[in-house]
Amino acid sequence: MAEQIYFEDVNEGDEIPSLSLEIERVQMFFFSAATYNGHRIHYDQSWAQGVEGYQDILVHGPLQVALLARAITDWVGGRGRLVNYAVQNRATAFPGEQLRFKGTVTGKRQEGETCLVELKVHGEKGQGQILMPGTATVSLPRRGR
Amino acid sequence: MSETDTESLIGDEARAAIGSELGRAVGTVVQKEFQRWAAAVGDRNPLYFDEDYARANGYRDVVMPPMYLAHVTGGVVDLDELRADGIPIRSGGSGSVQLPRCPRRMAGGDDITFLEPVYAGDVITSVRSLAGLEQKSGRSGDFVLMHFRTTYTRDDGVLVAEAASSLIARPANS
Repeated sequence: MAEQIYFEDVNEGDEIPSLSLEIERVQMFFFSAATYNGHRIHYDQSWAQGVEGYQDILVHGPLQVALLARAITDWVGGRGRLVNYAVQNRATAFPGEQLRFKGTVTGKRQEGETCLVELKVHGEKGQGQILMPGTATVSLPRRGR
Repeated sequence: MSETDTESLIGDEARAAIGSELGRAVGTVVQKEFQRWAAAVGDRNPLYFDEDYARANGYRDVVMPPMYLAHVTGGVVDLDELRADGIPIRSGGSGSVQLPRCPRRMAGGDDITFLEPVYAGDVITSVRSLAGLEQKSGRSGDFVLMHFRTTYTRDDGVLVAEAASSLIARPANS
């Protein structure tokens, strides 16, 4: 894990470190297994192509959602917390595609003792095609507390 | 979009279910299950795996990854109770809302507020209701956006999270 980030260190417009990766079929199988998901579009290529008309099996929407959450929770560190997370699945992703998960700070505020940071987040692929736009609210610790 | 079109993908049975509770489920949080999920995401956050690290950061034990919550209350599915595409017929979720003209399902989105950390051994009750059905037009044709609301409550009565989520239901091969 990276060093803990503190509320005081964050400014509007800051970008969180992006997560960039390709999802392969084995990982998709493990995600289906870990979520008890038997939906054929995630493992049955002939079903995905022949019956549903996709070019290949589909990377699970919830896996993309989890990867974007991972980018956020990696950034907030051990003492930060994910408070609210809202994303919409807008496009499909396929195994072997380069996926990127990003976030930008859009604001910060305090509610009592709680220090909150607002983020605009998204997942994308290719030349920047948006897979998932969203927002997140995280809490961060203050220095010296 | 005309009223006729609006009616066309959403039948009376599905429309009547709007506002109703679709399912209620109870599950116990199991450390190995959420760790397998985290590993499948490639998320080796030490909060989920390293008890000392979690304690040093204010938790009483390794903590469940927040996005695992929806899976805690998943049930046991019989193989003869699946649709042809592998989705359970009666899941307390999308499968129990009958949209015969829109058999294809895809994740639509999530909006989740996390109120309390969740630990192994916590018993969670999820209550899911159908908040709405919306017919929309997209690049690949008309589809139905199914809106759900879910609350997650610990067995001591504390609400740990609430979620608004959606699923996309599409006509066959549109």
